[in-house]
Amino acid sequence: MEYLISHYNYWIYILLMMVGLYAMLAKNNLVKKVIGMSIFQTAIILFYVSISAKRDATIPIIAHGHGHDTAHAVVEAAHYANPLPHVLMLTAIVVSVGTLGVALAICLAIHRRYNTLEEDEIQEQLQ
Amino acid sequence: MIWQIDLSVLSLVVICAFATIMVKDLLSAAIIFGAYSFLMCLLWTEMGAVDVAFTEASVGAGVSTILFIAAAYQTTRIVKARRRGRLSSKIIGLGAAVVMGLVLLAAEAHFPGFGDPGSPASLHLSPYYITHTLADTAVPNMVTSVLADYRGFDTMFETAVIFTAGLAVIAILRRVKQADRCELPEPVAISKGYEDTIIRFVSRQLVPFMQLFALYVVAHGHHSPGGGFQGGVILGASFILLAISYDLNLVISRMSEKTNIMLGNIGVLIYAGIGFLCLLLGANFLDYSVLSKILPATDNIMARSHGMLGIEIGVAIAVMAIVIAIYLNLSSHGKLDKGL
Repeated sequence: MEYLISHYNYWIYILLMMVGLYAMLAKNNLVKKVIGMSIFQTAIILFYVSISAKRDATIPIIAHGHGHDTAHAVVEAAHYANPLPHVLMLTAIVVSVGTLGVALAICLAIHRRYNTLEEDEIQEQLQ
Repeated sequence: MIWQIDLSVLSLVVICAFATIMVKDLLSAAIIFGAYSFLMCLLWTEMGAVDVAFTEASVGAGVSTILFIAAAYQTTRIVKARRRGRLSSKIIGLGAAVVMGLVLLAAEAHFPGFGDPGSPASLHLSPYYITHTLADTAVPNMVTSVLADYRGFDTMFETAVIFTAGLAVIAILRRVKQADRCELPEPVAISKGYEDTIIRFVSRQLVPFMQLFALYVVAHGHHSPGGGFQGGVILGASFILLAISYDLNLVISRMSEKTNIMLGNIGVLIYAGIGFLCLLLGANFLDYSVLSKILPATDNIMARSHGMLGIEIGVAIAVMAIVIAIYLNLSSHGKLDKGL
């Protein structure tokens, strides 16, 4: 039971990654593939964020930490969640909206040329 | 972390992921994906990653959903079934997913338990950030201090990546010449000619408050969740709200394409410029402590705090401009006429 509680989250992220990878490979519609890519991204982000979590720790903002006179406040690393993965994932999310925009722009350009978003129909027209 | 809440939200997330993939309508898929993002941000709040959750709420659940809807509107919302090679593609996809899952499962057995304070990721670098952020920078929100100061280089290039993404969208979609407009069939309108006074009035009243909130998020990012990325996305979203409830012309009359691209440039330049200013004052690139020489009444520690505020403002301007540019081009197929 102890092992189950401390590891079930990884299994779910793996499941989400599998869903994303399956959608990217097997789906016929290009926008569905993009959605699969986004699911894959969020699964990885979820994995990083869960690495940063600590039992009995609070959010990574120091309480009553205003100004200079707080230098005496004792800050222990175990009391706060690990901020480093948060930073990496925060920027990754914002970059993901940029890549999503580019991916959808390419989908629109493909639709402009072939008048369809389905992979097999585009292939037929290419042949 | 309470594992009961965690598990129930996670199972909802998985249901949403399957539903997004299964559903045969792109508009429904976009909406379900928005719900998926909101559940994700709930999960991250619960894990203590408030800044990440804030970003996901504004980016993933807000702007991404709108971008998907704009793409579905400009193309088609119907998903057709594959006509040939249906079984083989399913087998290949399923096979690859299962193989990857099994490999990851085998690796997962060696991972530290969920929430283990002694996990390797939390032992080496991050304790320094947690214990030194107040003494070094006087910024209580460690995520902001790591983002803008300790790892400022990283964030500068992330901003550059977003700027490049905006340029790429414009390069792919934008059509200036009249002759370029090919004979596309008119997209099936979701709400053509439908003007709702209530929606227009409410969104118009909402915009100033959204923008005020966005400025607060940028300025208060040192002490609370938030910062340049989130504030910039909310600022961009306020313009997108106007573009949806009225049309693109209203937004373009306030924020023309030229201004928009200029603002994107200026945002990245503010960031890099502060870095070069530090170089000119005789310190390393992006070492804000040297800014105390030119900022009145600040010591080295407060100078780092103010330097962070400066680059957060740059990030917010760049992100706002790029989010608006991506939406304008996606929703009007690069014509910048009426839009949705």
